[in-house]
Amino acid sequence: MKAFIPGLYPRSEALVQATRDFDRGRTTQEAVDEQVERDQAELVSVQQQAGLDLLADGMLRWQDVFRPFVDAAEGLETGALTRFLDTNTFYRAPSASTATPTLAAPVGERYIAPLPGPRLVTLPSPFALSHGSGLTPSAVAQGVLKPQIEALDAELVVLEEPFLAREDAPDIAGLSGALEQLSGGPKLALWLTFGDAQPAFDAGLADVPVDAIGVDFYATKANAVPEGFDKMILAGVLDARSSALEEPREIAAFVGQLEARGVTEIALVPNGDLQYVSERIAREKVARLGKAKTATTEAAA
Amino acid sequence: MSSNGEVKFLTHEVGSLAKPPWLVKTSAGKPLQDSDIEHARKWGEKVGVEDYEQLIELLQADERDPDEVARWSSRYCMRLQESAGVDWIWDGEQQRSEMYAWAIAHSKGFEDRGTVRSFDNKYYSKSAATGPVSLGEPYHNDEFSFLKSAAKHDLKIPITGAYTLAVWSYDEHHLPKEGRLGGGLSRKDEVEARRDLALDIARNIIRPNLEALIALGATWIQIDEPGASTEEDELDVFVESFNVSVEGLEGCTFSTHLCFSDYNLFFPAIEGMSGCRQYCVGFANYDSTELGTSGADRPGYEVISKWRDLPYDPILGLGVNDIHTDFVEPPELVRDRILYAVDVFGDPARIHVCPDCGLRTRSWDVAYEKLRSMVEGTRLAEQALNHSHAASS
Repeated sequence: MKAFIPGLYPRSEALVQATRDFDRGRTTQEAVDEQVERDQAELVSVQQQAGLDLLADGMLRWQDVFRPFVDAAEGLETGALTRFLDTNTFYRAPSASTATPTLAAPVGERYIAPLPGPRLVTLPSPFALSHGSGLTPSAVAQGVLKPQIEALDAELVVLEEPFLAREDAPDIAGLSGALEQLSGGPKLALWLTFGDAQPAFDAGLADVPVDAIGVDFYATKANAVPEGFDKMILAGVLDARSSALEEPREIAAFVGQLEARGVTEIALVPNGDLQYVSERIAREKVARLGKAKTATTEAAA
Repeated sequence: MSSNGEVKFLTHEVGSLAKPPWLVKTSAGKPLQDSDIEHARKWGEKVGVEDYEQLIELLQADERDPDEVARWSSRYCMRLQESAGVDWIWDGEQQRSEMYAWAIAHSKGFEDRGTVRSFDNKYYSKSAATGPVSLGEPYHNDEFSFLKSAAKHDLKIPITGAYTLAVWSYDEHHLPKEGRLGGGLSRKDEVEARRDLALDIARNIIRPNLEALIALGATWIQIDEPGASTEEDELDVFVESFNVSVEGLEGCTFSTHLCFSDYNLFFPAIEGMSGCRQYCVGFANYDSTELGTSGADRPGYEVISKWRDLPYDPILGLGVNDIHTDFVEPPELVRDRILYAVDVFGDPARIHVCPDCGLRTRSWDVAYEKLRSMVEGTRLAEQALNHSHAASS
């Protein structure tokens, strides 16, 4: 049993204020950077105290899950401000000025921070990054994501995928082709956030060429996971869109349902970016994720 | 339409304007700098705020009443819009903390849950409904009474709508705390929980506010619903909550404001929202900045025909300024957006002109220029239509 927190983590109230002040010309970039460092250190401490297995940097500088790549890629541009799924948070939808965008240079440590221990890195999935841009997942995988992954030193790369679970007829074959291009380096996980993964599983999600698949188990029933599933499941058991705090014993009991289906490798994760709750709530949720891992491990023993 | 039969469009602001540094710092208890005083002096002169020297004296005092400074800020914002030539004005939220936070802070049954990102470095405070929701006392009365006494142009008052307050809140009251893992809570259950919360807010918070404002003389109340399309399968909840809020109330025009959504989602749900006489909607954010009046030139406005076809003939408040950029739309671009809309509607009386949304993320300099350009572009559109009409008769 493992546990970790991919995705965008909320900024502290102090960092919120610093970025607001920066936008209004009331503080300097250096002051914002210093607060980011303090948030980063606090987040590492929160994860270590919770006993999480891989550290995440929380993507504290990212304005949305696409922006650093849109800024760094030739042929990608920031488009219209667009609602992110059914949240009250918006992102600049990537648009394309060429059919074959390329990463000018890998996104560096400013956006993917070094951490004091084994780490995971979250990147947009090729389907998500191409979504709505007219590009193919393969084109962004080859030109943008592949050079980034090749430049990474990470135990696990989590490819965040918020859109696939909402597709009426998910193109798993197209996605598989794109993911194939990203293999050969660090372990890969495809993390379907905030949506029912059942249609994607029905379309063959279990067979995509990654090491782990993430599922939002607030929207997905346990029996959506095929019997004999032989990859790691990133079990989305923290509801990142709810202020209600999860009960570790309930999570542990749910893990039992997954194990009963023959799933042997499980990592407990949120069902999406924790940035949809405030930092103080996220911090408590992470602590409970650690307790759930402990409770699950003890129950197994 | 003017009394002499010539085309005349009504222009209006939509919602918020930035708070000036002298208000922000006063509210935060921070000292002012010379540049803040100069800001007050410059804008007092520029937009013609009467007796603004009194504000300067107030700002130079050791102690300042934040409420009094906020009322001055209201005067400044109304004069800013009036001097830009906007017909129907408001104070741009100067006396409110923010459209969500103000409403929640003055209601019962909510608890603060911290700050969540809206986009980039913009955030909002988010609360949870933790018990039955109700109104302490109507929370826009003092503001409206003051603005009514100080406005020179017609006054509109926005109020955050029930559905948006519901969908922007967590719900710890109607939703179960456990039993949700493994898809244990159906989507139908979630929608019903939202319906319960939204209708509670409509009945117990919004409607009493509307009644109070009408009693004070409000003639146009804009019910802001930027969250209306957040959940595609809850649009009937939005419509029902709007109807419950306004049904049977007389003596006032009710409108709504929608923004940054896939507007196609609203149809056909809003066919049942006949109490809404005007839809103020942001389109410029999605449009080209090139000139032209054909459909191909105006991709951001493709959806407007759906409002034209609503069975109760509401007016469309046409968003012509993108509020997320400092780019000041040239009057000719505003003109072309209006002319395209008139061509689609076939009736200029069903078009009003406004920005996409509140301009609070722009500086006053940019907001002022955008509003001036909006008004100038509106005049150009009127000239084009009246000239065309005269030439053909």
